[in-house]
Amino acid sequence: MFHYILDVTAFIMTGCVFTLKLYAVTIVFAIPLGILCALLKISRYRSLRWPVSAYTWIFRGTPLLLQLIFFYYGLVVFGISLQPFTAAALAFVINYGAYLTEVYRAGIESVDKGQYEAARALNMSYPQTMRRIIIPQVVRRTLPPTCNEAINLVKDTALVVVIGLGDILRAAREIFTRDFTIIPFVIAACIYLLLTIVIVFLFKQIENRYKVYE
Amino acid sequence: MNDRPVMIKASSVSKWFGSHHVLDSVSFEVRRGEVLAIIGPSGSGKSTLLRCCNGLETVSDGIIEIEGEIFADVRKGKAVKIPKDQHFIMAKKIGMVFQHFNLFPHKTVLENVIEAPMIVNGMDRKSAIIMAESILKKVGLYDRKDYYPSKISGGMKQRVAIARALGMNPDIMLFDEPTSALDPELTGEVRNVIKSLASDHMTMVIVTHEMDFARNVADRVIFMDEGRIIGNAHPDQFFEKQDHPRIRAFLQKLSDR
Repeated sequence: MFHYILDVTAFIMTGCVFTLKLYAVTIVFAIPLGILCALLKISRYRSLRWPVSAYTWIFRGTPLLLQLIFFYYGLVVFGISLQPFTAAALAFVINYGAYLTEVYRAGIESVDKGQYEAARALNMSYPQTMRRIIIPQVVRRTLPPTCNEAINLVKDTALVVVIGLGDILRAAREIFTRDFTIIPFVIAACIYLLLTIVIVFLFKQIENRYKVYE
Repeated sequence: MNDRPVMIKASSVSKWFGSHHVLDSVSFEVRRGEVLAIIGPSGSGKSTLLRCCNGLETVSDGIIEIEGEIFADVRKGKAVKIPKDQHFIMAKKIGMVFQHFNLFPHKTVLENVIEAPMIVNGMDRKSAIIMAESILKKVGLYDRKDYYPSKISGGMKQRVAIARALGMNPDIMLFDEPTSALDPELTGEVRNVIKSLASDHMTMVIVTHEMDFARNVADRVIFMDEGRIIGNAHPDQFFEKQDHPRIRAFLQKLSDR
């Protein structure tokens, strides 16, 4: 029995590699995308604001599952054929970027306007003010909601099965159909929980590091 | 005093917020090394006037000159365009201290002071630190240089804010109610720093509610009411021989408290 569990875990872990890869790519690109779009969204120029509004509306307003299908199968119609991983990564980055845009926009708007005035009185330019004064405070303030998104992302990676990619859940299901036991699902759940613990732990570390100035 | 160069000159400056007339054709000037106190009831336009002097507020009408050069010029709703680099050079001559300090919470005391000299003036970190440390010594906060703002008292925060403004080596310092957000027992340390700047002949404009402070530190006192300057005199003259009924009533009310 013990050996069985070990074997199954090892097999499911092969799916875990994919999950982690997709996870890393999404985090690395979605956060800067979110910050950039948040900056555009608070711009005083309408022509910069509305495309971002349309973007967040569309990608928060449709299921991620649908977006995955679109990027993998849908783009073919337009003559663009992406590798499954590329399609998945694109869908995840754009989807999470949309949520993070709103997180960071709210974060930017929560910064006291005295901070802008102080920077202005010191003759910092707007880009300098955002980069050096506002964004660092926003990143700190938005750690809890960003952590929420990061946890959601672990579970959302399971959606990639629809475009034929293997992840933790798919590996578990393969064993389930072979052996007809729920053990692989229990193991999969444990792996998800472990990943979540790691993420929560990491965010806690980052929050503590920032705590010094509170 | 009258032979010294004019540092700030406001001529018929008006400001509207919507239909609210905040500044009504205000004129005054400050000469080099002069300390000007602006007092008056809340909502009389003191802060707005101060903020017009460094460009935090735009003027709706009138002219502001900084050291003889046009800083803002609006006539009949038409603003004269001031070249950006010229505006920048003038704005850099002015430092400002706010009522609520507005320190950068994610930066230490030292980092608050070196930030603008480094990124605005392109000073290298080493020289910026040397300069910042000498300013922090002057305001008595050298031993707190590695503290974050949240870990120091309000009086210290305001002294850091003064140090931060001094870091840009300004010719003129503007103070917007620098002691109003402080517990009474902490106002003294801030007043003392401002006094020491006065004895170094720093040109200063101070909006304040503290009459004793205005009397002690200022060379001249301006009284504002409903967007107008209705009194402008030497402190002795202003406080001892005040003949304007509105100002006398205001001073009377304060001393009755």
